[in-house]
Amino acid sequence: MSTLQFLADGFAVALQWQNLLFALVGVIIGTAVGVLPGIGPMSGVALLIPVTATITAGLPTEAAATSSIILLAGVYYGAMYGGSTTSILLNTPGESSSVVTTLDGYQMAKQGRAGSALSIAAIGSFCAGVVALLGLILLANPLSKLALKFGPAEYFSLMLLGLAAVSGLAGRSITKALIMTVLGLMLGTVGIDAVSGIERFTFGQPMLFSGIEFLTIAVGLFALGEVFKTILEKEEEDGQLAKINRVLPTKQDLKDSAVPIARGSLLGFFIGVLPGAGATLASFFSYITEKKFSKTPEQFGKGHIAGVAGPESANNAASGGAMIPLLTLGIPGSGTTAILMGALIMYNIQPGPLLFDEHPQVAWGLIASMFIGNLMLLALNMPLVRIFAKIIETPKKYLLPIIIAISIFGVYAVQFATFDLFLLVACGVLGYLFAKNDYPVAPLVLALVLGPMIENNMRRALTISNGDFSIFIIKPLSLLFLVVAISWLLIPLIMKIRGKNVLINEEG
Amino acid sequence: MSYTFDKTFSITLLALSILFIFQATQISDSAYGSTVGPKIFPLGLGIILGLLSLQLFYESWKKAVRERVTGGPTTSSKISSTELKKFLIILGSALAYVFFLEKIGYMITTFLFLCISFQTMERTKLIYSIIIAAGFSLGVYYLFTSLLGGSLPSFPIF
Repeated sequence: MSTLQFLADGFAVALQWQNLLFALVGVIIGTAVGVLPGIGPMSGVALLIPVTATITAGLPTEAAATSSIILLAGVYYGAMYGGSTTSILLNTPGESSSVVTTLDGYQMAKQGRAGSALSIAAIGSFCAGVVALLGLILLANPLSKLALKFGPAEYFSLMLLGLAAVSGLAGRSITKALIMTVLGLMLGTVGIDAVSGIERFTFGQPMLFSGIEFLTIAVGLFALGEVFKTILEKEEEDGQLAKINRVLPTKQDLKDSAVPIARGSLLGFFIGVLPGAGATLASFFSYITEKKFSKTPEQFGKGHIAGVAGPESANNAASGGAMIPLLTLGIPGSGTTAILMGALIMYNIQPGPLLFDEHPQVAWGLIASMFIGNLMLLALNMPLVRIFAKIIETPKKYLLPIIIAISIFGVYAVQFATFDLFLLVACGVLGYLFAKNDYPVAPLVLALVLGPMIENNMRRALTISNGDFSIFIIKPLSLLFLVVAISWLLIPLIMKIRGKNVLINEEG
Repeated sequence: MSYTFDKTFSITLLALSILFIFQATQISDSAYGSTVGPKIFPLGLGIILGLLSLQLFYESWKKAVRERVTGGPTTSSKISSTELKKFLIILGSALAYVFFLEKIGYMITTFLFLCISFQTMERTKLIYSIIIAAGFSLGVYYLFTSLLGGSLPSFPIF
């Protein structure tokens, strides 16, 4: 079957009424998550995994997986839309990926052009979503065909590359990022070894036999960690919502932003495909590029429409691009995609080259639903932006305890064990301490998801080579991945030693 | 940013890595003649973590010394004691919530937890807190058990 045929089937799946509903709920929750400062896309997605798992419990596995991944992906790109709303109206970015949007967006709002800024951001995000989608459709087949030729040695090195890329860009200190990665890998070894059936680090406790549940760790570190942080560090709430006069952009605005949107989308897409570099970096790069290409660079920071259009398109395109390595190679490039991957694995669906052969319904259904979801976001955001902006007024008094209650309910509903709940609360405290002391949490979750696969592939490769470690260097592709992985870690280090500033990716 | 945390954490990590390496050597070998058993990977991880913790200790020590030379630590966001108290109350009630969940049921524990933490966050409008807490705990329970067919501990079992 051709790609087009698959895509048509994907649309058939995505247009089923329950999947339309799931996409709608996903993008609405995503927008809310994006608007609320303090809940990022990572904790939003992590928090919703158990909820979707219970809702879809009655469906057959494959359909359940499709529906929940449609909802979760909706949260992911919906958050990119929502983040821009508060940046523009309140000068408070809801996500780290819309920090740059505040520079020009808030200025525009002050000049009474809030509506234009918001709608341009929405249009830009939509175009970017479509670009990312086209890229995904074009690249999915060739990439998964290439990946099918990989042996265990190549996979091992490729996963190391993924980990290295995320750690190298994850925080101020590479040492700390690497420590988090290794801790994640270590947590992944707890439980019964899949190859030999021997218990490891279980101390005879039955609840550790199946390993430490990724969901508990992710919800604890991200969702609870952020809640605790908000309780402890009270932020001054300032600023008033800027007024929105007209929602539709003027013709001049549209004309001015067409090229930045196109540039931002392409740039964001390619940055998103690279492992480790996510939406935050994409929006920064796009802002810098727009400033460089602009005929009036002095207008930036004073309400230039290109300063909103470019970065907003870029961060959305990046979140779409990040799906490519996840779906085709089975390697998540960021914290949020790692959580999405964990969700797929929970349904016993392994992302990777075989995904498109074994579960075309899941893969293409998701791709098609991303298109529909983007359309919904555009339709929702233009008329309803005033209502969405109101979400930020939700009192923290009620919001924070309810997030704790949802986390506890969610983990209990999936795990049925109080042990996991204690672990959840402990992870929440750790998540706060880690974030406060600059230990990036995303590498830990990524390593926890990838750990067992890395180990399996390493052992399979070594079994092939009879225990000879040189197999990882002899195979050319594997060697290439390893070299790239090492340089990903070393180049920022060398740049730091030379006293250069290195852009870091704070979002996952 | 406090370097004391980094230092303490690096020592904890070193201890953890030693414990991990020791535990890894206790893992029994594969029953069949595979060259790479279940030991190697954890053993390697333990060693890497040990090295990284030493590096972290060195880095934080170096930074602490530099700070002492330049004088005064960099300004860090201080947590006020009221916020800390709030946090501890909520953390404590979350732990109690988790502990009693299976013993006295989902609805009662959730209701109590939400009431306590709402009022801890801000001591106003008790009525609203009670209504929202009751609405959430009852709503989630009934949605989950009757609509979705899940099961949650309902009421105390005596």
